[in-house]
Amino acid sequence: MSSSRRWRLSHLSLYRRLTIWLLFPLVLLVAIMLLQAWFASREAADRAFDRLLDAASLSIAEQVRWQQSRLWMDLPPSALEMLATDAEERVFYALYDAQGRFVTGNRSLPSLPARDGNRMSYGDVISGDMPVRLGVLRARLEGWDRSDRFEVRVAQTREGREALANQLFLASLINIVIIAGLAMVVVLLSARFALEPLTRLRRAIRQRNPRTLAPLELALPRELAELRQALNELLARMRRVRANQERFIGDASHQLRTPLAGLSARAELAMRQSDPDAWREALATMHGTATHTARLAGQLLSLTRLNNPEATPAKQAVDLAALAQRCVRAAFSRHHRQGIDLGVEIPEQAVVVLGNDWQLEEALNNLIDNASLYGASQITVQVTDAPPRLVVRDDGPGIPEPQRLLMLRPFHRGQQTGDGSGLGLAIVDSIARAHDIRLSLQAARPGDPERPGLSIALTFPVNA
Amino acid sequence: MIATPGILQLDAALRALVLLLTVLLPASVQARTLHFAADTESPQPLTIYGVVDPPQVRPLLADFHRRNPDIAIAYHNLETLALHARVLQERGAPRADVVMSPAMPWQYQLANEGLSTPVDSPAAAAWPSWARWRQELFGFTFEPIVMVYRRDLVRHMPPPQSHAELLKLLQQQPEALSHRVVTYDPRRSGAGYTYAIEDARISARYWDLVEALGKTHSALETTTAAMLEGLSDGRYWIGYNLIGSYVQDYVAKHPELVMVVPKDYALVLQRLVMISRDAPHPATARRFVEYLLSAPAQRLLATQTTLGAVHPSIDGIGTAADLRERLGEAIRPVQIGPGLLATLDTLKRQTLLEQWQQAFKNHSTYADGPLADPSPLPQTPQE
Repeated sequence: MSSSRRWRLSHLSLYRRLTIWLLFPLVLLVAIMLLQAWFASREAADRAFDRLLDAASLSIAEQVRWQQSRLWMDLPPSALEMLATDAEERVFYALYDAQGRFVTGNRSLPSLPARDGNRMSYGDVISGDMPVRLGVLRARLEGWDRSDRFEVRVAQTREGREALANQLFLASLINIVIIAGLAMVVVLLSARFALEPLTRLRRAIRQRNPRTLAPLELALPRELAELRQALNELLARMRRVRANQERFIGDASHQLRTPLAGLSARAELAMRQSDPDAWREALATMHGTATHTARLAGQLLSLTRLNNPEATPAKQAVDLAALAQRCVRAAFSRHHRQGIDLGVEIPEQAVVVLGNDWQLEEALNNLIDNASLYGASQITVQVTDAPPRLVVRDDGPGIPEPQRLLMLRPFHRGQQTGDGSGLGLAIVDSIARAHDIRLSLQAARPGDPERPGLSIALTFPVNA
Repeated sequence: MIATPGILQLDAALRALVLLLTVLLPASVQARTLHFAADTESPQPLTIYGVVDPPQVRPLLADFHRRNPDIAIAYHNLETLALHARVLQERGAPRADVVMSPAMPWQYQLANEGLSTPVDSPAAAAWPSWARWRQELFGFTFEPIVMVYRRDLVRHMPPPQSHAELLKLLQQQPEALSHRVVTYDPRRSGAGYTYAIEDARISARYWDLVEALGKTHSALETTTAAMLEGLSDGRYWIGYNLIGSYVQDYVAKHPELVMVVPKDYALVLQRLVMISRDAPHPATARRFVEYLLSAPAQRLLATQTTLGAVHPSIDGIGTAADLRERLGEAIRPVQIGPGLLATLDTLKRQTLLEQWQQAFKNHSTYADGPLADPSPLPQTPQE
C-alpha cells in the first residue's frame, strides 16, 4: 500500500513535480538532439569523404581516351591513393562503357541511378560481402572524333567515414551533455527558487501564536497571495465565530445568573421569616424559577450541541405526520391544563423526509412551547405533503414584521412579557440550517390587528 | 570459385602474365615443401604459402619451430603468380593460414579484396606504418633494388653510383657500353614491370634512361639470377635493377662483382605477409606473424639471411635502419597502398609497356605513344 501511495501523483512534493515536469521534456529534448547529431555527423562525414570519390573519379576520367578502337585508360595510381585516408580503406574502381560493359577495374561495381543535373551520384551498396560507398561519374570522351559516354565507378569501404562520423558525434555529444547538465542545474535551482515563497509562508504560519487570529501580513507572489487572502478570510470568519461564541457564553451566563441570583435572594428572604405559609410560597416561587432555569440550561445545551459542526448525526427517513402526532400527544395534557387548545392536522399518508428525528422533534416542541409561552390560546400543528412542510400556527400576539428575523438570534425575545428564554426560535433555526429547511414566519391571521398570531412554516427540500 | 567479372578479367590477365613471368626467384627454385614436425602429442598445424627461397626461409622456420615446438609447420614454396592464383582459387575455403609474397601488388590486391585478417597485437600496432596496411598486411623484409657492375669496369670508366650517373655514362659512352648493360625485360617479367612502373612514378627521367638503354642495345633478362650469371661471365658490365637480397648472396661468392645501392634513390621491395581470412588455424597463424614481427626473428633475418630486417630496434648490416642511415631520403620503399592496384590494371600495363617499348626502340617517346596528343593544335591564321 505504501508503495502505491508513494507513486500517486497527488502525494508528490511540489518540488519533485516541478523537477519531473521540467526534466522529462529536457531528457526528451536531449534524446532528440543526440539522434539528430548522430545523423548529422554521419551525413557530414559522408559529404566530406564523397569529395574524395569525386576527385578520384574525375582524375580517372581525365585519363580515359579512345585508343586501339576501344575505351582506354591509363590509370593514375595517385587517383586510387587519394581514396586511402588514414583509415586505410579498401579501394575499388571500374570503368564501364556506354553499353554498361566492364572495360577495366579491380572489381565489378553496380551503377547508380543518375541524379538530375549531377554528373556524380553516390550510394551505399554491398559489393562482394562488404558494405562500401560507391561513387559513379558519368562522363563522355572529349575528342574530335569520338564522344562516347562512359562511367567511372569508384568505391571505398566505410572505415574513414565511420571514424570521422564518430569523432563528430563525440564532439556534439560532449557539447550536448554539457548543455544538458547546465540546463538540469538551472532547472533544479529555479524550482527551488520558485518554491522559496512557499517555504516562507509555511514558516510564517508555523511561527504564529496559536491563539492569535490576526490576518497574515507577508509579501508573496500572486498565486500565493491568493492563498494568503483565502487564509485571511478564513481567519476573519473564525474571529467572527469566536466573537459570537464569546457573546453567546456571556449571554448564557448572564441568563443563568439572573434566575440563580433570584433563587438565592428568595431563599434568603424566606429564611428570615418564620411563617410556614411564607416558606411555602417562597418554595413554590423557587420551584418555578428552578424549572425555568433547568429548561434554560437544557436549551443552552441543545443549542451548543446543534452548533457543534463536528457532530452531525446521521440522517434517516422520518415520517413527519407520525412525528407531529407523537409530539402533540405528549404536549396535549400539559397544554390542556393551561387551557390551550392544541390540535394537529395531518394527511392520511406518511410524509417522509430525510432528517434526524430527535432534532426535528426538538424543533417542533420548541415551536409549540414558544407559542404557548407567548400567550396563544389555540395552537395548530399542520403537516402537508408536496412539498413536505410542517406548520405551527397560533393566535397569539404575533411578531411585528421587522422583528421577525431578529427573533432567530439567541436571547432575543420578542416581548418582555412571558417567561421564554429567548432560545426557542434560535434552536429551531439551527436545526433548520442543519436540515436545509426553509424557515418562514408569517402572521397567521393577518386580518386581526389585535391578535394576528404567528405561523411558522418549515419547508423541507423536495428530494430529501 | 566465387569471382566477380572484374576478378575474372584480372585472372585472365594474370594467366597471360604467368607465361611471361619467371618471377623474382632464380630459375632453379621449384615449388617445394618444407615440413617441421611437432614434438608434442597434440600438434598445432600451420600451413604457409610463401615465395621465399628455402635456403632463406629455412633458418627462420627452424628458429620459429625451436621456440614453438608444438606447431607442425608445412611450408609450401610457390611462384608468385601460382601463389596468387591458388589463394584466389581457395578463397572460399582457404588452406593456407599464412601467405607471404614479394609480389607486392598481387599481395596487396588479395588483402584489398578482403582475403586477409587483421592481427591485433601490440607488435602489429607498433609496426612502422610505411611497412604495413590496416594491421592486415605486413612488410617483414627490406630488400633494395640495386645495380651491379664488374670490378674491372673501373679501367674503362668510373662505375655508376646512381641512376643519374648511369644515364650519363650511357649517353657519354654509348659505343663502349653497347651490349654491355643488362636489365629486366618488363614485358616478360612481372618483377621488371613492377620496377618499371615504380621507376616511372619516381622520375620522368626514367624514360630517358630507357631510351639510353635502348640506344646501347642493352640486354634484357627475366631473372636476377640470369643477369648475375651474365655479369659473372663477363658478357655484361653493368646490371640495372637487380634484387638486392639475391645479389648480396651472389656477390659474396663472386668477388669480381660489386653491388651498388643507387644513391639518388633506391627502390625497396618488401615481402608482405598476411593471415588468410577464415584461416583454418588462426591461432598458430597469429603466433607465426607475431614471431615474424618480433625482434628475434628480425635479427635472424638481418644476420642469417639477406632479406633484411624492418624492425626499428634492429640495426647493423642488412637492416632498414642501416640503409636509411647510409642513404637517408634516397630510400624509397614501395608504398603499400591502393596505388599498387594501378600496377595490376590491364590497360595500365599495356600502356606502360607500349611506352617502354617505344622508348627502348628509340622512337620519340611522345610521338605516337599512349601519351600522344590525339588532336593536333588548330592552325593559327596567318596575317
